[in-house]
Amino acid sequence: MHAIQQQYWSIRDYLSPVLRESKFKEHGRITPEEFVAAGDFLAYKFPVWTWEKGDVSKARDFLPTDKQYLITRGVPCLRRATSLAYTDADEDAERLLSFDDATDSGGDEWVETHAGRKSNMPSASNPGEIADIPDVDGGADELSTGVGGMSLKQEEIPALDDIPDMEEDDLEEGDEATAAPKTAVTSSNVIDPSQIEVATGNLLQVRTYDVMITYDKYYQTPRIWLIGYDENRIPLTPAQIFQDISAEHASKTVTIEPFPHQASLQAASVHPCKHASVMKKVIERMNNSVVAEQLAHQKASPKEKEKKKWFGKKSGNKDEKPSAPGDDDEVEGMRVDFYLVVFLKFIASIVPTIEVDSTTAF
Amino acid sequence: MTTPPPGTPTIVQFTPLPSQTHPSFWHKLTELKLDVLKLSDAEVEIGGRYGVGRVFRDREAAGEKWVGVGGSLGVDEGSFGGQTTTTTTTSVPVGTAVARGIVKNFNTIEEFKAADKSKIFNQVADKIWSSIHTTKSTTLLNTFLVITYADLKKYKYFYWFAFPAFVSKPAWYIDGALGWVGAAAAAAAATTTGGGGGGGPGYSHDQLKSILDQLHKSAHSGSKPLPYFLVRSSGTTTVDVVPVEEYDPSKDRYTDTLDSTGTGTGTGTAIGFIDPSAGEQNPGWPLRNLLAYIRALYPGDSTKRLKVVCWRDSYVPRGEDGWKSRVGVITLGDGDGTGVGDGKRPDAVGWEKNVQGKLSPRVADLAPMMDPTRLANQAV
Repeated sequence: MHAIQQQYWSIRDYLSPVLRESKFKEHGRITPEEFVAAGDFLAYKFPVWTWEKGDVSKARDFLPTDKQYLITRGVPCLRRATSLAYTDADEDAERLLSFDDATDSGGDEWVETHAGRKSNMPSASNPGEIADIPDVDGGADELSTGVGGMSLKQEEIPALDDIPDMEEDDLEEGDEATAAPKTAVTSSNVIDPSQIEVATGNLLQVRTYDVMITYDKYYQTPRIWLIGYDENRIPLTPAQIFQDISAEHASKTVTIEPFPHQASLQAASVHPCKHASVMKKVIERMNNSVVAEQLAHQKASPKEKEKKKWFGKKSGNKDEKPSAPGDDDEVEGMRVDFYLVVFLKFIASIVPTIEVDSTTAF
Repeated sequence: MTTPPPGTPTIVQFTPLPSQTHPSFWHKLTELKLDVLKLSDAEVEIGGRYGVGRVFRDREAAGEKWVGVGGSLGVDEGSFGGQTTTTTTTSVPVGTAVARGIVKNFNTIEEFKAADKSKIFNQVADKIWSSIHTTKSTTLLNTFLVITYADLKKYKYFYWFAFPAFVSKPAWYIDGALGWVGAAAAAAAATTTGGGGGGGPGYSHDQLKSILDQLHKSAHSGSKPLPYFLVRSSGTTTVDVVPVEEYDPSKDRYTDTLDSTGTGTGTGTAIGFIDPSAGEQNPGWPLRNLLAYIRALYPGDSTKRLKVVCWRDSYVPRGEDGWKSRVGVITLGDGDGTGVGDGKRPDAVGWEKNVQGKLSPRVADLAPMMDPTRLANQAV
């Protein structure tokens, strides 16, 4: 069934035209050119993001060959989303982004969980209950297979039993200059991931994620992809990845799909069907404040041309691109370059513990 | 590790470089096995890369808690490019080093288990050692090795990485009280405690920025990024970053009058490397072969005391996060050190331990990500 669906998607994707006209303020959608511009800005401002060309045979012709998708590697994920203490107080903090405009069919809402959540787990001492992830092919069994990657079912590969026998202690003599794993850090406040786990008894493991942003031609929005690794750098199973996705979205909008820019890679992806409407809402809100600020700025110094501030505090130090002719005397509002930065803030609410939003760091 | 009494030299302990295999690496290996290698178990050259170790502020925890995430040697489908150093990226980000490696894929689990691992390992170590003497180049210093067995039907991959590193005998020591210090903090301390003209082991913000800029330039100017480099002082705000190959013992000798509190002056060149370790007092694995390289080519007293820059920054820090790079001044124990005089290759270590900390291979089970039937179920 899923395979048919994927076929359908790929055909639909093939047939849908490339968006040419800028629609980002009206619909929250962007053109490939705007995606590249926003990606350039993201990579410039936050060098953890880099452009990749991916598998050349999979390249999309509406994007530059060396700018097919964005990637950041090794994004830390300190906790499981399922272990975040989620109290009634948090529920009050939930922000309902509703989209009941006339244009929308109404009732389209997006729950932004964990909005403005403060640390309510001092030193992470209350071990959050790890909810069982709904898992189709035999729940616990699946999970246990993934953990550590080593506890493999015996009946599947008898030879696996022999692997521990391969331990070859005589291969190397003890080496005094090799730092023993998990020792090292003592005096300071830098903690080894393994120490958190031991210290608190909570299931704290530092997973890392490779996060990719592609351009989805059908939905005309960016699309996020996740590949996770556990603290031993072994790829996570889908069930494990779902632990890092907020419960609101885990089994609904996040699925495992073939990654479009590599031959046969499967990655978790947030389905982009609602991205445009959410982005529109967020952009509208931000745009208003940006416009207001720009107006104020203009009033304060009417002669001054320098009105292209990003969001006030983030005054752009990027080389200004020539703006579209004719808008010299108008207030420009938010620029499309900022799209992906905003997008990441939105994604951060879906994956609250994966620190995709590096922009909050400063 | 207990804190040693002040002033006691401590053996420098290096954080092993962990491996990280991207799922696409196994996809590509599968293809290669089916279409090209078939039953051959010849060695195939691959490329990989590792990034700097990073520390992150734990925003959920109370107080100042940092979590270290070490860099790892990553291999993905781009590792199998025609040229060994090709990766899928258009440019290697700053703070990333490329490494060459060899993958040897066995046909059966029995062959995999019975393989003469010491022999394969020693061949790689010999190659690194001879490259030091013959080409005087650092390009092979971080060569790695991986042996694999792919169970294609079950989507299971057995593998064992090795990162050959030469053992220094006698070992390198660092002053126990001073230890490894933050690159910027050390400079501040040196100036406040009267280091005399900004001596001390550290660097100023401008100098560190200059290092970052030059590393960036070397990675993007078409020349290769520098996994190892020299940091020559050339002023109070700038430094010169040059390849290690340009080391000149007469010009680059490091001398200092540092006491155990870090007070004093130091002049001369520092050796630097892209450091995948996140441990405060442990430099990363790649430093070992750099030290072996320096000692092998420039034996004698001039290289018995070295200033080392563990480079751990990939961008100019903003806000309260400071520079993450660390510096330390290390001293070789008594004796001439490895490989000096007779030119014989020192012992090498570096097989990666498995999750349980044992010298044993690892297994990647990609069935949940690759098996079509399981994926179909997942998507219901």
